[in-house]
Amino acid sequence: MLNLNHLLLSPEDEQKITHLFQELREKYRDYKDPWGFNIDLCEKAVRKLLPVYRHYFKVRVFGAENVKDHPYIVTSNHSGQIPIDGMLITIAFLMDVSPPRVLRAMVERFLAQLPFLGDFTAQTGSILGDRANCSYLIENGESILVFPEGVRGISKNTSDFYKLRHFSEGFYRIALQKKTPILPVCVIGAEEMFPFVFHYKKVAKLLKVPALPLTANLFPLPSPIDIYIGQEIPIPEHMGPEALDKDIKENVYHIENSIKRLMITGLKNRRPFIDPIRKPISKYIIKEFKGKS
Amino acid sequence: MSSPKKILIIGIAGGLAQMTARLILTENPEWEIIGIDSRNVVNVPPLKNLTAINLKYSRGNFENLFRTHHFDVVYHLGRISHSSNEQNVLAKRIDLSVMGTNRILELCERSGIKKVIILSTFHVYGALSDNSIFLTEDAPLRASIRHPELRDVIEMDQICTNWMWKNQKSISTVVLRPCNIIGTQIQNAMTRFLSGTIALSPMDYNPFFQFIHEFDMAHILYKSLDTVPTGTYNVAGNDFISLREALNVVGTKSIPFPMILAGGMNEVLKKLSINVPDYLLDYLKFSCLISNNELKKHLGPNFLRFSIKEALELIKLR
Repeated sequence: MLNLNHLLLSPEDEQKITHLFQELREKYRDYKDPWGFNIDLCEKAVRKLLPVYRHYFKVRVFGAENVKDHPYIVTSNHSGQIPIDGMLITIAFLMDVSPPRVLRAMVERFLAQLPFLGDFTAQTGSILGDRANCSYLIENGESILVFPEGVRGISKNTSDFYKLRHFSEGFYRIALQKKTPILPVCVIGAEEMFPFVFHYKKVAKLLKVPALPLTANLFPLPSPIDIYIGQEIPIPEHMGPEALDKDIKENVYHIENSIKRLMITGLKNRRPFIDPIRKPISKYIIKEFKGKS
Repeated sequence: MSSPKKILIIGIAGGLAQMTARLILTENPEWEIIGIDSRNVVNVPPLKNLTAINLKYSRGNFENLFRTHHFDVVYHLGRISHSSNEQNVLAKRIDLSVMGTNRILELCERSGIKKVIILSTFHVYGALSDNSIFLTEDAPLRASIRHPELRDVIEMDQICTNWMWKNQKSISTVVLRPCNIIGTQIQNAMTRFLSGTIALSPMDYNPFFQFIHEFDMAHILYKSLDTVPTGTYNVAGNDFISLREALNVVGTKSIPFPMILAGGMNEVLKKLSINVPDYLLDYLKFSCLISNNELKKHLGPNFLRFSIKEALELIKLR
C-alpha cells in the first residue's frame, strides 16, 4: 500500500542533506565548473530523488568501507534501459559513502546534445565521456563514474540480462595517465526495472539514436537495488598510458572479473522480485562464470 | 622597444586595428604605420605617423606598397567577417580572406619582413556537442563539419599556420585565435547580440562563453610584436561565463526561446535579411572553450586587464 511518508524525506536524511551540502558548498567555493555543475540544483535533485532511492528502489549499499578519501575512477556495470543506475550510484556516493562526494558521471555524446536534458545532466554533474574532460576533473580532485560497456550495457534484450558487455579500454588509459585507482562497482536489480525488452536495432540506426527498446512497462518497476562496491584496484606503477593494447586488455579484463565477482555475490543475495524471471537468469550467469574461470 | 619600425596594418578600417595602431604609436611615437583597407578609411582617426589608404590587397598596387616601403612588421587583421552567408559575400570572403592572405604572405616572404601577426578566430574549432573542454591549439578545426560556408575561415588559418612553419627560420609569425572579442568599437555578431535591446536566450541550452575586451585584444596584438614567439595561440582569459549570466551582466532583456525552433525561424528571418549567422546558433547551444596555456607561457598568468564581467559591463557603454 502506498505510504505517503515515503514521498517525504526522513528527518535524519533532511539533516544529513543540509549538512552534506554545506560541506560541498565549502569544497566548491572557489571552483567554477566549465560544464555548469550547479550545487543548488544538485541539492534540489537529491531532495526530490532520495525518497525514490530509499523507498521505491530500496537501495542497499555494500562495501562502502572500501571507499577512501581520494579521487577514483568508479567503474560500474551498466544495466536497465535508461541510465537510472548512474543516478542511484551517484546518490549512494553522496548519502551512503564516507567521505561523500559528487561523482561526475560520463555520459553518451547523444545525451549531451539533447535540449533541456543535456543542460540538466550537466548541471547535476554529468559530463561528456571524453578523455580531456576526465583528465581535467581528476586534476581538480574529482571522482568520475564510468560505464565501460557504454550504451551496449543498457540496450540489452531480456535474454542478455546480467551479461557484461565487452569493456572499452579508454577509461583505463586515463587511469594510467592520471595514476588514479579504479573502484569497481556492481549494480544488481536495475535490469528488472524493465523486465521484458526487445531492441529495434535497425530502427534505432535509422533514427540515429543509440538504442530503441520496446518494453512491456513504460515506467521503471520498483525492483530492489543493491550496489556493491569492491576493493580499489591500484594502477600498476610500471605501466604508462601508451602501453600496448594487450597489456591494457589484461588489466581491463581483471576489472571486468572483479565486477563479475560482485555480480555473483549480488545475484545470490538479492531480494525477491519477479522471481520466475530472475532465478533462471541468476543460475545461468553463475554457471557461465564458473565455467569460464 | 628597439629601433623605429615601419608597420603595415591590413584592415585599418576595423575598430580593433585602429586601437592597435593607437597603442603602438602611443608607446612608440617615432614608429610609422601604414594602414590599408578595402573598406572606406575616412573614419580612421588622424594620428601622427599613421597613414590610412583605401586599397584592395588583392590588387597590383598592393605589391607596390611593399616595394616602396620597407616594412619590418605586418599585421594581418583584414579577414572579412564571416557573419554573412550571402553567396556574393561568400565569394568576396574567399577572394580576400583566402586568395588575399596567400598574396600577403607571399609578399611578406619576398620583402624580407621579420614579423607577421595574423588575427584568426576561435570559430575555426566550431561549437559541437562533443567538444572537449578547453580546446588546445592542436585540436582539429571542425567548424566546417556543420557549416561548410565557414571554409574560408579555416582555410585562411591553415594557410597561415602552414606558411608560418615553412618560414619559421627567417620570419617570426604569430597566429592568434581569440575567443569572442567584445567592445564598443568592434562590430561583430556577438557584440551586437549581447548589446541589442532584446536577445533571444536559449531555454533548452546554456552554453559557456569566453569574452575578451577589445582593449585587451589590442594589447595582446601589440605585445605579440616582441614578447610572443612563432606559433599559434588561443587568446582567452582564465574565466568563462554562461550565456544566461552574460546576458544578465550586460542587462539585455532576454526572451527565453527553444533552440529547437531556432533553425526554422532563422530561415524565415533570412528572407527579411535580419537573420543571425547559422554558425552562431550552434554557439548558443554548445560550448567552445579554449585553453590559454600556451599564451600564458609568454604573457604571464594574468595577462588581461579586464575580467569577463568587466568586459561585459563595458559594452553597456555602446
